[in-house]
Amino acid sequence: MKMIRAIVRPEKAEDVVDALAAAGYVALTKMDVVGRGKQKGIQVGSIYYDELPKVMLMLVTEDENVAEIVEIINHAAYTGNFGDGKIFVSPVEEAYTIRTGSRGL
Amino acid sequence: MKEIVAIIRPSKMTRTKEVLAALGFPALTACKVLGRGKQKGLAGEVSFPLGPELVQEEGGMRYVPKRLVSLVVEDEDVPLVVGAITKVNRTGAIGDGRIFVCPVEDAARIRTQERGMAAIL
Repeated sequence: MKMIRAIVRPEKAEDVVDALAAAGYVALTKMDVVGRGKQKGIQVGSIYYDELPKVMLMLVTEDENVAEIVEIINHAAYTGNFGDGKIFVSPVEEAYTIRTGSRGL
Repeated sequence: MKEIVAIIRPSKMTRTKEVLAALGFPALTACKVLGRGKQKGLAGEVSFPLGPELVQEEGGMRYVPKRLVSLVVEDEDVPLVVGAITKVNRTGAIGDGRIFVCPVEDAARIRTQERGMAAIL
């Protein structure tokens, strides 16, 4: 299993969620985060923004679906500008459903 | 070391913290998140009434408020913590949440510069 964490633009988050739902990946967790990238924030006129608001989407999936999900997020969150975000994939060893106590997704 | 990431009901947060503290795991990180499962978010998950137009359009609500709890424990404590969280949070209804166990390579305590398991204990 892999955990996919995508940091995307807040205005693109719902597009990404809808695209994932259309492909059958309905379950996810969403949280508001602030962060910055290599560009160290952004300068708009005389105002310097050190941290920019982003939305982090988190979902756990089987290994074979990772490529497809990354592709979907890449496509739905793309604008071509700095600040489109990043996707991280990390290993998950076990998953449990609390309601049933059963192992696995 | 393993990181245990649990997504639970906000109403069970206090009890979960109490039980984990009693078992000797008082340290944790919690975060308010929004989420949904296979059911795409359910109207019955929140205590306030939803407008009929919302229920009709979305078949419920898009996201359900949840609490994300994350704690790092030793490998041999994983079954104990997972069992405790499961026991406290189980109501039998959809939306009880999920627990993920992820590997952690290293940890550091900033105050003392300790590394590895010493940083957590």
